Amino acid sequence: MAINISNARNRDAVVALENLNEKREVYYVDPKGKPVQNRRVLKSDTTHDLPDLVKKAKKIEKVAKALIDGDPEVDIEAFGRFLTDTSRVYVNERGIVHFVEEFEVIKDPDGTVREKRPRKKLLQNMNSEFPLRWTGKLIKKSDAITRFVFTNKKQLKHINGLTFEFLLEMAKDLAKKDSLLLLRGGPEGKDPLVMHRGGKQYNAFLEGRVKGNTYCLLLHLSNMELRTPKDEKGK
Amino acid sequence: MPATLVLKLAKSEFHVELKKIDRAKLYGEVEIEAVDEKGKPATLKLLASDGKTLIDTGGTALETLNEKGDSLHRDDLTPLNLDGEEIKEVPSSFDEPNKITKASIDDYLSLIVKSVYQLSPAPDHDLDKMFERLGKSEIFSFPFSYRAGLEYDRAFIIGNSEEAFMVVGKPAELEFVGFNQPAMLSPDEEEEIAADEIDFSLL
Repeated sequence: MAINISNARNRDAVVALENLNEKREVYYVDPKGKPVQNRRVLKSDTTHDLPDLVKKAKKIEKVAKALIDGDPEVDIEAFGRFLTDTSRVYVNERGIVHFVEEFEVIKDPDGTVREKRPRKKLLQNMNSEFPLRWTGKLIKKSDAITRFVFTNKKQLKHINGLTFEFLLEMAKDLAKKDSLLLLRGGPEGKDPLVMHRGGKQYNAFLEGRVKGNTYCLLLHLSNMELRTPKDEKGK
Repeated sequence: MPATLVLKLAKSEFHVELKKIDRAKLYGEVEIEAVDEKGKPATLKLLASDGKTLIDTGGTALETLNEKGDSLHRDDLTPLNLDGEEIKEVPSSFDEPNKITKASIDDYLSLIVKSVYQLSPAPDHDLDKMFERLGKSEIFSFPFSYRAGLEYDRAFIIGNSEEAFMVVGKPAELEFVGFNQPAMLSPDEEEEIAADEIDFSLL
């Protein structure tokens, strides 16, 4: 995906933001030693699950008998077929619902409902007309790691010669300071980052590493602190 | 009673219990409720590409296929490491003492985090020496497997002079990029800030 980011001199550029993958250390092969692949398949649909079987049979006892006598829970034609391009939809008892109203139910750590409010879907601010702001707020790496949990991380990469210099300088600057830089987004450059519409908000920190004339710019995303929950303290 | 993990650092042994921490335990959580135009509850389901098949939770599965596209049973698969050698199962980290070693901050920052645990001393044990080391900004690492499995995760022990945490994950594949490796597209004053200035409760 693209990310619009500014540097310490308030110059901005659109560069690439890539997901980071885990180092893969295990591979599977079939009995002939050939590589294998995984595909997502249909296992069951809503017209063959228990509520639907009960509806058809009228009584749960009759469902048991139907399961012994045959395979009413299986659609031989459909089940096992590969799934591609699925979408998430809202459904009520009559089928797909095209108009829904969503509410956020906010619960405290103990599970009690604090508030219920209409859902606010925030717009993404990673690649908008307002570049992510180089806030200049630095936090030492050694301090940051004991304060925040970086629940998600991504890597920034250049897309042409100009942006190579742009990102290399950022990485050098941050590596020299041995610090993470707090990034903010939005019109005033004060908001946490939102990767996509309706997505989670993250506090984002930029880390730079340099090896010779190559760089590694990491975007660490955090939505929780590294601390003991309140109800655990003192136990 | 929680299982006890034994950590060995030089001549010291630490017997610890793990308690998982997540966002919900720290800040609570937000659940989404939806209603249709008549105020009746609506639930999320998966719609297949045919536009009519609706799939509920648990209605999909991952199937392993060979090169021809035929299904394979899990027992027919052989796990290999990057050198092409067959992998033997690793034991659970709870089954034996775990030697922990000093780790670097950059190694920790390269971790793709899966879970976070709070460490507390097992009954009749203490973590005083561990807190002392963590208070000096030291961090430690060891291979960790919650249950026996094919490979270890990486666990890092970090914290301060009062609290210890274990962060578990897998190292990320980082890439140092040079001029000839462009990716395809898909002035404030600098100042040191305290971590306390960053608000998390509003997220």
